[in-house]
Amino acid sequence: MVGLFETGFSALGWGHVLMLLIGGALVYVGIARKWEPLLLVPIGFTVILVNLPLGGLMEAEGELLRDGIPLGLIARIFHYGIQWEIIPPLIFLGLGAMTDFGPLIANPKTLLLGAAAQFGVYFVLFAALLLPWFDFGIKEACAIGIIGGADGPTTIYLTNKLAPELLSATAVSAYTYMAMVPLIQPPVIRLLTSKKERAIYMKPQLREVSQLEKLLFPFIVAIGIILIVPKSAPLIGCFMFGNLLQVSGVTDRLAKTASEAFMDILTILLGLSIGGIMTAERFLVPRTLAILALGLVAFTAATAFGVLAGKLMNLISKEPINPMIGAAGVSAVPMSARVVQRMGQQANPRNFLLMHAMGPNIAGVIGTATVAGVFLGMVG
Amino acid sequence: MIDWELVAKIAGGGFGIVILILAILSVLVWIVGLVVRRFTRKGKQESETKGRKD
Repeated sequence: MVGLFETGFSALGWGHVLMLLIGGALVYVGIARKWEPLLLVPIGFTVILVNLPLGGLMEAEGELLRDGIPLGLIARIFHYGIQWEIIPPLIFLGLGAMTDFGPLIANPKTLLLGAAAQFGVYFVLFAALLLPWFDFGIKEACAIGIIGGADGPTTIYLTNKLAPELLSATAVSAYTYMAMVPLIQPPVIRLLTSKKERAIYMKPQLREVSQLEKLLFPFIVAIGIILIVPKSAPLIGCFMFGNLLQVSGVTDRLAKTASEAFMDILTILLGLSIGGIMTAERFLVPRTLAILALGLVAFTAATAFGVLAGKLMNLISKEPINPMIGAAGVSAVPMSARVVQRMGQQANPRNFLLMHAMGPNIAGVIGTATVAGVFLGMVG
Repeated sequence: MIDWELVAKIAGGGFGIVILILAILSVLVWIVGLVVRRFTRKGKQESETKGRKD
């Protein structure tokens, strides 16, 4: 039909073909392996769409990541959703409405395990700066390090602010490794703990948390953290607002919408946005490989430091603490808590660690959002 | 050229702040929990006593 209109074949290059395969692979692992399907399926399919030449879905006047004007459909969604910093904080709102902070309130010292796991972020920050050939600057290293927080929306939010050109690589790295938590964490946990430690029994019942405590929690966290780290306000503020909707007892309708329909809409828009920027020319660069490797190091280091903190806590605590629950300090809610539960039962069938691991797990989300705020306050 | 002084500040100071914030939060949450439980228990006892008198 050449002559009547231009087909995509004329502009199809090897980079596009490779991206079509990557998009297909993301869809495949989402559907066949059920790895983060709600995100990897939309991201993967969008990768395919935007890498079919001349479709114009990501068309922009100028470079979109550097103040370009969006023209294509997905470019507009990306611009107004991500670049305007709307989608990631609102996803935090939905997450807040979905989260039960009961385990954390019942055992607040697990907040420290969530903090310890953030060491992985700082470890990779250094690693990125020391890595030869790639010339990562401080802002870029912060954006890469935050992958270790295992929190997709925070990674996207921070990268968009500090190093937007890395957004496709950091986002894919964060979500892919979050999906691979059941594969990444067990070897690290086994390496750092003895069988005896993994079998440490923790009483399955946490104390009952009253409604009033749950109601006060979002206020304490929001006011406490935002006063100290103001730049964390969009993420922490939305997270706690969402939770307030859930625990107030009078806004059930809003909580239900925020945690279901609203969250689903945001997830679709996020998938379209992240898949949209994964074009061949942006994604197929050597730096992407470096970021994927550093992301894996970040997850591994975060898990390792969480477990080490768990061991330390077990040494100084009156009540026995299974050090594996420290591994749940990387956010990845609730996958890492489930990994701990499964490994705990393998080591000691009497153990039921899920609720104990949920404390550090949720603390990890708060910790990562706080780290993002600290980074923005220092280099943003 | 990397400003290693800033990196040290981010790594040392930044991580310190995060640990400090979460430590403060954990103490605050623990104290609030204690206070709430004490008041709840007190309230329960009072209502039980009142119930017995009635």
